Amino acid sequence: MEDLLDEIRELIVELGDSNKIKRLVNEALTRKIPLSKIIGDSLRRGLEEVGRKYESGEYFLSELLYAGSLMNGILQMLKSHSRNQKMESGEVIVLGTVRGDIHDIGKNIFKMLAQAAGFEVIDLGVDLEPEIFVEKLKETNAKILGLSALLTTTRLEMKTVIDRLNQAGIRNKVKVLIGGNAVTKEFAKEIRADGAALDAVEGVEICKRWVSS
Amino acid sequence: MGEFMMMTPRERIKAVINFKKPDVLPWIEISYDETIIKWLKEGLPADKVTAIEWDIAREGRLLLNWPHVRGFDLYSYFGCQYMLGCYVPIDIGPIPRFKRSVLRENERYVDLRTETGAIARRIKSAEYTWYSMPMFLEFPVKDRKTWEDYKTRLNPEDPRRYPKDWHKDAYIEAFEQYQAANTVLTLTGFYGFGTQLMGIENFSTLYYKDIELMIDMIEHWEYFTIETIRYAVETLKDRIDMIYWWEDMAEKHGPCISPKIFKELFLPHYKNVTRFLNKNKVDRILIDSDGNINPILDLLSEAGITGLWPLEVNAGINAIDIRRKYGNKFFLTGNLDKRELVKGGGPMKKEIDSKVPILKELGGYIPGIDHLIPAEFTYQKFKEYSDYLKKYLSY
Repeated sequence: MEDLLDEIRELIVELGDSNKIKRLVNEALTRKIPLSKIIGDSLRRGLEEVGRKYESGEYFLSELLYAGSLMNGILQMLKSHSRNQKMESGEVIVLGTVRGDIHDIGKNIFKMLAQAAGFEVIDLGVDLEPEIFVEKLKETNAKILGLSALLTTTRLEMKTVIDRLNQAGIRNKVKVLIGGNAVTKEFAKEIRADGAALDAVEGVEICKRWVSS
Repeated sequence: MGEFMMMTPRERIKAVINFKKPDVLPWIEISYDETIIKWLKEGLPADKVTAIEWDIAREGRLLLNWPHVRGFDLYSYFGCQYMLGCYVPIDIGPIPRFKRSVLRENERYVDLRTETGAIARRIKSAEYTWYSMPMFLEFPVKDRKTWEDYKTRLNPEDPRRYPKDWHKDAYIEAFEQYQAANTVLTLTGFYGFGTQLMGIENFSTLYYKDIELMIDMIEHWEYFTIETIRYAVETLKDRIDMIYWWEDMAEKHGPCISPKIFKELFLPHYKNVTRFLNKNKVDRILIDSDGNINPILDLLSEAGITGLWPLEVNAGINAIDIRRKYGNKFFLTGNLDKRELVKGGGPMKKEIDSKVPILKELGGYIPGIDHLIPAEFTYQKFKEYSDYLKKYLSY
């Protein structure tokens, strides 16, 4: 069993052929290996290794994007096989691009990696009024809010959202992660966000740290 | 003793990009249109930046000499040069163009079919910012079939690629006479073209998903590029001071495609294009790429690239480090951190003080902001920056 899970993990790390990986995952299902083990011990560990390689400069955006799409393709496949085995759903992240900004590439990469890491991501879209974030957080009781902005002109909207969370009395119930090309660690401090992700991999790592603590 | 002759802006730029000493260091910028519009509201005198030309009334409708506004010349007003001074007017877009049209709209958004065949969205209230940063909803090339369809629009033999009034001797003369800035031939790179047709996510992962398609796209782009520019390059030769090769192939972390993919798939085609250019005495070849290009600088040099812009500080690029590591392999432009410059005062001065004198001494460097002039710059702060930077330009 462990050999098979290791092989799947290695294929993800080596950015192998998606059909081959799916075949091996199917084999694991046939062998009655629990879904949680397939996802946890091979798929997520493989993606984590890809993330580490990206952070260390061994892999680049092309590899990260491909690994994320591989992973999501397999997770989709597993969903259709999981009628008898419940797929655990992780901590919820409410995610979106702030008002006045309609860019979503960075947000989508983060979403893909966060889902692959086990988070349930509620992607509200782009160009969002601050109230939409507040309403969704209240509705879902999500503990993490991810805000994205590409432009330096629109990143100021992140502060508006945080102000609205304060006004709504839910600021201390939510960790706010900001990301996007215009975002820096200093800016996060300035607007009193809880964290700033300089790239999608770091963003997911921050969320994992928050959940585990 | 001969009379002291001041160099023209073009001569200054040519001197620097060829690692020679100019009489005065040139300074190059490119502005977003939205910045100019904002500055006009903040006090930039419209009459001082309006570019008026005498011409037979527009499009030849009347045989009447009449002055009309061609646009805004911000650069002369501030005493800098526009990077894309006089350019070779070749059409490297899809021919026929896709019909530009509004596909749908509501109170907030307009979705447009662009002339390259993409569908792009803009916020209605942000008309000017849309052009600098559009959001794409769909791209024209999705797979082998859509690529084969698109390829028919990328025919280098199409006579519409050159202006109707193209006359070899007239263009040679125009390129010899021009002195306001450098003369440029603009190209779109192998990654840039792919992302415009497929989107960043799709083209960046194509190596892993459909390598045959990626190879075909890149091979065709090399053929298309060389054959489209062939006549102009063989005619104008080194009257073209610089190739401006747009790529935008990196993000903050590093290149969007790995050095491995670059080396395997892109490098040979870069080399073929630069060999063709070099054969025609054009060897000042600048890559425009935002982001952290450090991991592929060796490969870019091997590819025949000899200039870099904008050298984005936010992505960890330091022009002094590049100069020290690579010697005179690259001429460098930009690298003044826009985030510090927009603050004005001490942070702006510190940024200039820490780089410009050193790079001026090392040579092969033209100062400028590390991208287009952003709208965050107020008119007053840019004037302050301009006045301070000018102190460093003379020798």
